[in-house]
Amino acid sequence: MAIDPKYSELVTNIENGDEDGGIEAAKGLLESGVDPLDIVQDAIMPCLKEIGDRFARMEVFLPEMMLAADVVKGVQDVLRERFSAIEVASEGRVVIGTVFGDIHDIGKNIVAAVLEANGYEVHNLGVNVDPKDFIKKAREVDADLIGLSSLMTTSIPYMRDVIDLVKESEVDRDRFKLIIGGGPVSEETVELTGADGWGENAADAVDAVRALMESG
Amino acid sequence: MRNQSRLLDIIDRAYDGPPCEERDFDLKHVAAGVARVVKEYDIGFDRSRFIQRDDAVIDRLFDASLDFLESCGVYNTSTGRRMVFTRREIEEYLASAPWEAVIGEGRDARTERYRAVEDATPPIIIGGPIGAPLSEDMFVPIMQSYIQEPIVDTAGVGCLDSTYGREARTQSALEVMAAWQEVDLIFDAARRAGRPGMAFGCVSMAISEVGHLSAISRGGYRPVDWHMIAMFSEMKVNNGLLIKVAHSVRQDGVIQSFYNPILGGLGGGEEGIAVLIVAGLVAMQLMYMAATHSSAPVTPLIPADTVPPLLRSMSAAHLALSRHTGLMTDLPISPLAGPGTETLLYEVVAAATIGTVCGASRLMGPRSATGVHLNHCTGLESRFMGEVGHAVTGMSLDQAEEVVQKAVAEYEPELDGKPFGKPFEELYDVARVRPRDEWLGIYDKVKEEVASWGVDFR
Ligand code: B12
Repeated sequence: MAIDPKYSELVTNIENGDEDGGIEAAKGLLESGVDPLDIVQDAIMPCLKEIGDRFARMEVFLPEMMLAADVVKGVQDVLRERFSAIEVASEGRVVIGTVFGDIHDIGKNIVAAVLEANGYEVHNLGVNVDPKDFIKKAREVDADLIGLSSLMTTSIPYMRDVIDLVKESEVDRDRFKLIIGGGPVSEETVELTGADGWGENAADAVDAVRALMESG
Repeated sequence: MRNQSRLLDIIDRAYDGPPCEERDFDLKHVAAGVARVVKEYDIGFDRSRFIQRDDAVIDRLFDASLDFLESCGVYNTSTGRRMVFTRREIEEYLASAPWEAVIGEGRDARTERYRAVEDATPPIIIGGPIGAPLSEDMFVPIMQSYIQEPIVDTAGVGCLDSTYGREARTQSALEVMAAWQEVDLIFDAARRAGRPGMAFGCVSMAISEVGHLSAISRGGYRPVDWHMIAMFSEMKVNNGLLIKVAHSVRQDGVIQSFYNPILGGLGGGEEGIAVLIVAGLVAMQLMYMAATHSSAPVTPLIPADTVPPLLRSMSAAHLALSRHTGLMTDLPISPLAGPGTETLLYEVVAAATIGTVCGASRLMGPRSATGVHLNHCTGLESRFMGEVGHAVTGMSLDQAEEVVQKAVAEYEPELDGKPFGKPFEELYDVARVRPRDEWLGIYDKVKEEVASWGVDFR
């Protein structure tokens, strides 16, 4: 879908990772009477999706994606400030991290960036995350979904610990969906750990997250 | 130069360096820093070939990498500080780095040395699946299948998939148990193969410093084994890693450092990855006082270092290091394909040829089937890697380029699939630890084909 030319300044600033420029452009649009929801839906979302697709083709790299996400966060703050009654659209809230004992973070960061690029609100807890900290954060931000990354057979047990904590808790069980990923993760790991789903790569992760969100 | 005052100096930097937020380090120091030097030094690779031939580009790559290292430093995630080095310190430390090291003992000892571009002596051959998961019952026969190959000089060890029937949880007492089980089993495999003095890369089960501190001690791994210590991508360490360094220095161990940057990550494209490899390996010399330096870059889409852009990054980085330093470097081969496939062997040809002619001191692996599929590795592919390394020793860069072109043409179409092959137990007679005819037939066929390209296996 082509983006309306009135948004081209905003879109260029998102693509270039220029936060000040992006905020200025967004303010300009608001002043000329454009609806903030339209800005999100007709400019920001398609622009982020395009950046995600370019990454999948290796035309842009992780830093561009991270910077674009920063601009969007800045812009969303402006939109919220102006119209506090309006809930800025988010596809869903995700808490993500690499499980205890494991410091591999590149794949997880890519998944986080691509999810952000697809409109999710992502809370990235980093690496070597204690099982309880996933739950704590998920409760704090009222997450829809917890994403767990593990790159080693030796850290998969800690992935299962998080899943057990959620499934064994009456308050959390129906509240948070659990999705897993990382090199050694497969359909088998999903069975072994009792996760709700898994993603083989970043593109797959978005589809899997979407499917889980839709399953309610 | 390895000594305690240098070690203390490094530890000081973890606390004295400039404080920095991790995200700022990632974006402002690493991503912007790499992009800056790639532009300023005009680093651009010739996409029509794998082994880069323009010496001016290689020399600029080296300068750019040191410039980047000086401006960026290495981030310590435990202290939130950048550990920084001046250009003068970088150059002095490089000049005092070791050119050779002895690993192993007795009849199985080997001396490894710095190698020049197109060097006439063959690289050291490290056989083994380096870190790939092995089941407890198959660990000994699989590792023996590597150790018993005469062309293998030293072995890289696999990871135990479980320990005494339990999940091998890292950072727990089970990590200690698993690390010691690895010691017991690997020396058993070495005795069975009749090579008890062989050096091993250790500790594979030291996922954290816990296993390292425990299993490199009395009755365990020895100073003559090579002690593996990683640097995190991109350009990061933590106190756990520095604990490993302090321990290995005090043990007078041979330190092997490794760092795997990611294509499309903070370093950007293939030129940026070459900068990160050179800067990263030099950084590990400074901080770890390492004997050997290794890098297996990966891509987000295909977890292998045999994809064409990475072959270019690796060739350029090794050329730059060999032309400008006396460092001993490893080229780890991380193919996508697994044993029982022709694809794996062709991937090995490309990477082993590049490593050998571009000045790597050691060829390592292959870490078959991306190193994550249980028992998907056999000694036969290391034999083949060694044979290719020996056969292409002394070849010119241009001759080698032809071999690499042909090998890549054979495997590139397969990289979109999942050619993970078959597990050890299907390809070897396990009790006798001998490859079965099926796998030997594939090996013979590929070897014959590669020989017809002018690779002389005699
Ligand atoms: C790069 C790397 C490193 C780097 C990590 C740098 C970093 N900042 O992440 C360094 C050099 C530091 C490193 C260290 C170690 N490593 Co390492 N490493 C790798 C390597 C080569 C690539 C991993 C990678 O980044 N791939 C690229 C990314 C983009 O892919 P990805 O992570 O799989 O992510 C994708 C998908 O899986 C998915 N995904 C990932 N997370 C999630 C999460 C969700 C929710 C979803 C939906 C999807 C998803 O989407 C991602 C994008 O497409 C792998 C080999 C491999 N084949 O995986 C070994 C590997 C994982 N490492 C291994 C080992 C053993 C180690 C060490 C223990 C070595 C040692 N003895 O010191 C240490 C571990 C330290 C620790 N405590 O964690 C082993 C693990 C074996 C096992 N037992 O299972 C592997 C398999 C290699 C091997 N065979 O040796 N390593």
